[in-house]
Amino acid sequence: MSDIPEVKAKEMANNQTEKYPRHKLKVLKGNFAAAEAAKLCRAGFVPAYPITPQTTIVEQISEMVARGEMDATYINMDSEHSVFAAAKGAALAGERVFTATSGQGLFYAHEVLHAIAHFRLPVVICNVGRPSIPWNIWSDQSDSISQRDTGWVQFYGESSQEVLDSIIQGYVIAEELDVPVMIVLDAFYQSHTSENVFIPDIDLVDEFLPPKKKKGGEIEVDNPKSFGGLVPPEHYEKFNLSYWQDITKVEDLTNKIGKEFGKKFGREYSAIEAVNIGPETKMILVTLASITTTARGVIKNHPEVGLLKLRLFKPFPKKSVLNVLKNVNEECIIINIDRNFTGDSEGAIMQEMKRALYGKSFKMYDVYAGLGGKDVPPSTIEKIIHKGFKNPEEVMWIDFE
Amino acid sequence: MEPANQFLIKEEKVYSGALSCRGCGWALLVRHLSSILGDETVYVVPASCFSIIAGPYPMNELRGTIVHTVFAAAPATATGVRASLDRQGKKDVTVAVLAGDGGTFDIGFQSLSGAATRGENILYICNNNGAYMNTGIQTSTATPYGAITTTNPSANYKKTWPKDLMGIIASHNIPYAATASLAFIEDFRNKVQKAKEVEGFRLLMIDGPCPPGHKSEPDQSITIARLAVETRLFPLFEVEHMNYRINYNPKEFVPVEECLKLQGRFRHLFKNGSKEILEEIQQHTNNYWERLRMLESNSN
Repeated sequence: MSDIPEVKAKEMANNQTEKYPRHKLKVLKGNFAAAEAAKLCRAGFVPAYPITPQTTIVEQISEMVARGEMDATYINMDSEHSVFAAAKGAALAGERVFTATSGQGLFYAHEVLHAIAHFRLPVVICNVGRPSIPWNIWSDQSDSISQRDTGWVQFYGESSQEVLDSIIQGYVIAEELDVPVMIVLDAFYQSHTSENVFIPDIDLVDEFLPPKKKKGGEIEVDNPKSFGGLVPPEHYEKFNLSYWQDITKVEDLTNKIGKEFGKKFGREYSAIEAVNIGPETKMILVTLASITTTARGVIKNHPEVGLLKLRLFKPFPKKSVLNVLKNVNEECIIINIDRNFTGDSEGAIMQEMKRALYGKSFKMYDVYAGLGGKDVPPSTIEKIIHKGFKNPEEVMWIDFE
Repeated sequence: MEPANQFLIKEEKVYSGALSCRGCGWALLVRHLSSILGDETVYVVPASCFSIIAGPYPMNELRGTIVHTVFAAAPATATGVRASLDRQGKKDVTVAVLAGDGGTFDIGFQSLSGAATRGENILYICNNNGAYMNTGIQTSTATPYGAITTTNPSANYKKTWPKDLMGIIASHNIPYAATASLAFIEDFRNKVQKAKEVEGFRLLMIDGPCPPGHKSEPDQSITIARLAVETRLFPLFEVEHMNYRINYNPKEFVPVEECLKLQGRFRHLFKNGSKEILEEIQQHTNNYWERLRMLESNSN
């Protein structure tokens, strides 16, 4: 104990932190950080259905509601399809809605994800990524990746802290643009792993995310409207156009809200994060979620290797990516690490990066790594770097030797 | 003295120019229903004929709020609307689902059972016309035995009995479930009124006339609906917390043929060699009626 400076000891004793005023430091699993965020955001309606490894999120929310710590209507639904249909109804009536799911649950809800997006409902959810049957409950982003075209904004969290912070920012973005937002965290590596998390005080969150205001497009029983009736061809496209106009604002808004969040909470965020990327960079690893942390450590031994972390994945932050790469020599190798399977030759990150870098002459490679929860340890990242420099192939499967 | 059923609708809540087919049950059903439920009602509509009848964007057939939703989950969407309105202190607003038999018996069955089991404060109306009529008369699990549909054509007519949705929903121990017919409009209105006042999950099963689907004459819709009750093919009853009460006892025996022969979907049953099928339908109908009477006599 004598090694601990007096201030730090005091800090630990009352859970207060000098680093972030108006925060408490807790050791939390990723799922609990997500549940905590739902409470801090004052979500008023939480329809729920259990699925591993999401379950502890809804368990924790039901617990907080039962204890009276969270003022929300929590309902055990009959399926994820019903969960999202209920979310749609409540959001349409003006409620701030939160729920969480994973894998099959997200696949099952697919139809309603489209409905929520196209009804322009600012629902925010947390998805704990896992792949499709044959049964596998471990970390994999194939579930959320396969929802790319539903119109939902997607953020991938590198840490539990980031998950909590992104849910708060997610509501601000969702409610400003009337688009739904999905925050994705990795199964087990994040969902069931304990980390230090700085929990902001709820009044601090209130200042950043005020109570939900009605905009006039919600259900108002004294002003009856019809929502979602048959739209003839001459009108349908107009809805797509207006969606397009707003969804293309997400990247800039993410950066703006991320900066404001930084001012308020002390932790700044942006659509992407570039680590060690400059004119001399010979290789860039592109990552999502927890693989980023592993790569961060590994590249410390490789000054010529940079890291591009995608936090916002959908809509793809093309502008930010181009901006980061504008001073990079186009001889630089770009290696996309895909923990998702799209049934195509390339994984989703490679597809999106190629799209963003159309017309550039960067050498682009794809690596499938960590599918179905397979661990991606530092040695795998080393292997990727080594193979990338030595004998890269356009699409690589790693760790099969 | 004025006829009892004249001017039942004191204030019209449906705009003119509805898109239903001639002789469709939805038109009359919704006129009466909305006149009782009032303007401050949220109607949740899964894919069904009523999705169309309610009016294309940007129109609204009703003086009330309409929320169109996905086929399989109207009770779930209604659950969300209800929860949100309750949080806003609007507990008196009725949230009503308007669904067809496909959305009730088949694709929406799980969502219906979930909402009923949770005791959601929702009024569920099923206009049961016995097939997927909006998509062109395909078989549902509500399609009657012996009927022809586009997916059970000619010799491959439906050879299974419809699902006993009323029995299933009643077994959820909900506070109110009832069948109602547009040919017995006062009974229908009384049941809507009662269902409106009860708190919790309520379901009304309406026998839905459908001239294009039943291959009947539009001007025969009410006659056929009346005969469905008189023949006991569609008995009028209500169930409160699993206690059954038959609301109408036909005074005399009317054979099922009287109702079936007015519907082209059963025409093949009146050809030579089909008598046994008609007898089978009669027997099943008698058995169901006897079962209802037994359930009634066992009720409080």
